[in-house]
Amino acid sequence: MNNLLEIKNLTKNYHTKEGEIEAIKDCNLKVSKGEIIALVGPSGCGKSTLLSIISELDKDYQGEVIKSDNLKIAYMLQSDALFPWLTIYENAILGLKVQKMLTKENLEYVDYLLKFYNLDEFKNKYPKSLSGGMKQRVALIRTLALKPDLLLLDEPFSALDQQARLVISDDVYKIIKKEKKTVILVTHNIEEAITFADRVIVLTKRPSYIKNIVEIKMDNNDSIYERRKDKNYFKYFDIIWKDLDI
Amino acid sequence: MSTEQKKYLKNLKLTKLKIFVCQSIIIISFLILWEVLVNKGILSSFIYSSPSNVVKTIIELINNNNFFIHIYITLKEVLIAFILGMSLGFLIALILYEFKFISKVVDPFLTMLNSLPKVALGPLIIIIGGANTKSIIIMALLINLIVSIISIYNGFQCTDEYRLKLMQTMQSSRWQILRILVIPSSYRTIIASGKLCIAQTLIGVIMGEFLVSKQGIGYLIVYGKQVFNLNYVMTGIIILAIISYLLYKLITLLEKKLLKHL
Repeated sequence: MNNLLEIKNLTKNYHTKEGEIEAIKDCNLKVSKGEIIALVGPSGCGKSTLLSIISELDKDYQGEVIKSDNLKIAYMLQSDALFPWLTIYENAILGLKVQKMLTKENLEYVDYLLKFYNLDEFKNKYPKSLSGGMKQRVALIRTLALKPDLLLLDEPFSALDQQARLVISDDVYKIIKKEKKTVILVTHNIEEAITFADRVIVLTKRPSYIKNIVEIKMDNNDSIYERRKDKNYFKYFDIIWKDLDI
Repeated sequence: MSTEQKKYLKNLKLTKLKIFVCQSIIIISFLILWEVLVNKGILSSFIYSSPSNVVKTIIELINNNNFFIHIYITLKEVLIAFILGMSLGFLIALILYEFKFISKVVDPFLTMLNSLPKVALGPLIIIIGGANTKSIIIMALLINLIVSIISIYNGFQCTDEYRLKLMQTMQSSRWQILRILVIPSSYRTIIASGKLCIAQTLIGVIMGEFLVSKQGIGYLIVYGKQVFNLNYVMTGIIILAIISYLLYKLITLLEKKLLKHL
């Protein structure tokens, strides 16, 4: 099966004292292997809720979420969420430790990633000695260490300043491409969505449904810098901006 | 090292020294003023004792082999009550954190117990527990336990929500979340609650010793009052002040060691 994930007729309602809130309405989506999908939409439109449902954090919904067998999902959050009392290395292997997968092979992979991202010399330091961008890199390594089939990125760069954001998002883009990971990226940043994704899914305000799916085709996919220079970049930007209808 | 850096470090040291000198001056002038006022008869030596009388009393107590016993007894009670209060507080806070329903049920009772002056229960405790060390420790526990439960529980509740979500996305068990995230991230609050707790424990132990005791610093104070020898009372108060300061310092030291990376 080429589909890693299929969402059928997904509807999600929240219950609060004040009443029922329709968050997601009749959402259908297929994600195939190796694909990068970006979800954009106005804030509070249920983008993150969708990720929570996919990752089974939230099991209270109507509709179907069909996953391929043994699909390993890993999550990267807006905040690096590093534990300040653990060293960089201990933070990087946290997921492996929790899931009892501290095998030699996995630990070697973490070592490789730390070296690759020039974090090797900080291995035994604590998070407070790193910059925001480097912390986010550690968070990425912690996620990748689990060797997930599907990566869920929930506004992973929005806490970074713009320069760090450019550098880190390019890093992440390259490693995703290199490792041929399947990704669902939630972002409110149109530029980020276009430079990252093969398909951009535009959601509406609550109750959100899929308004448009924009296929992004670019000539040079080497880095997000190259993708931003593409001649169609502004055309895509325009389409998505109009669809967002803010 | 550059001369500026040397100057900066020297300045730091100098400030520290200045603070120490000022503190010493305050204590020494207080003691001198106290001694002089009593000597000149402006303050009654019978009521206010005097530094030299306190020293004489301490020497007398040491000669009678009583001095260290009083301190030992009180310290022992404080330590037992403190350790019990902190560990019980920690356990109960953990239960309240894990079981939100229980926490909601007991919330009004905790609030009530928190504002109740526990000293009021003193006579009851003595009748139930008897006139012994056990009653003193129960008295102290009553006073420190509520404080430690509430403050440690608050610490658990302040766990960062992103970190909690991260642990959930890794499919951690509840026990893992507690052990790996919630407890370590509350170290700072736990230490802070230790500082609160030590003060509360001292209050409880001295209260308890006032009510029932044959030894201890609280006993020394009550005994001094009964035989109208206020030298004992003053000596007791001064020893207590030194003990509370040292215990507080001990926790601060522990804090520095434990919280290096937070």
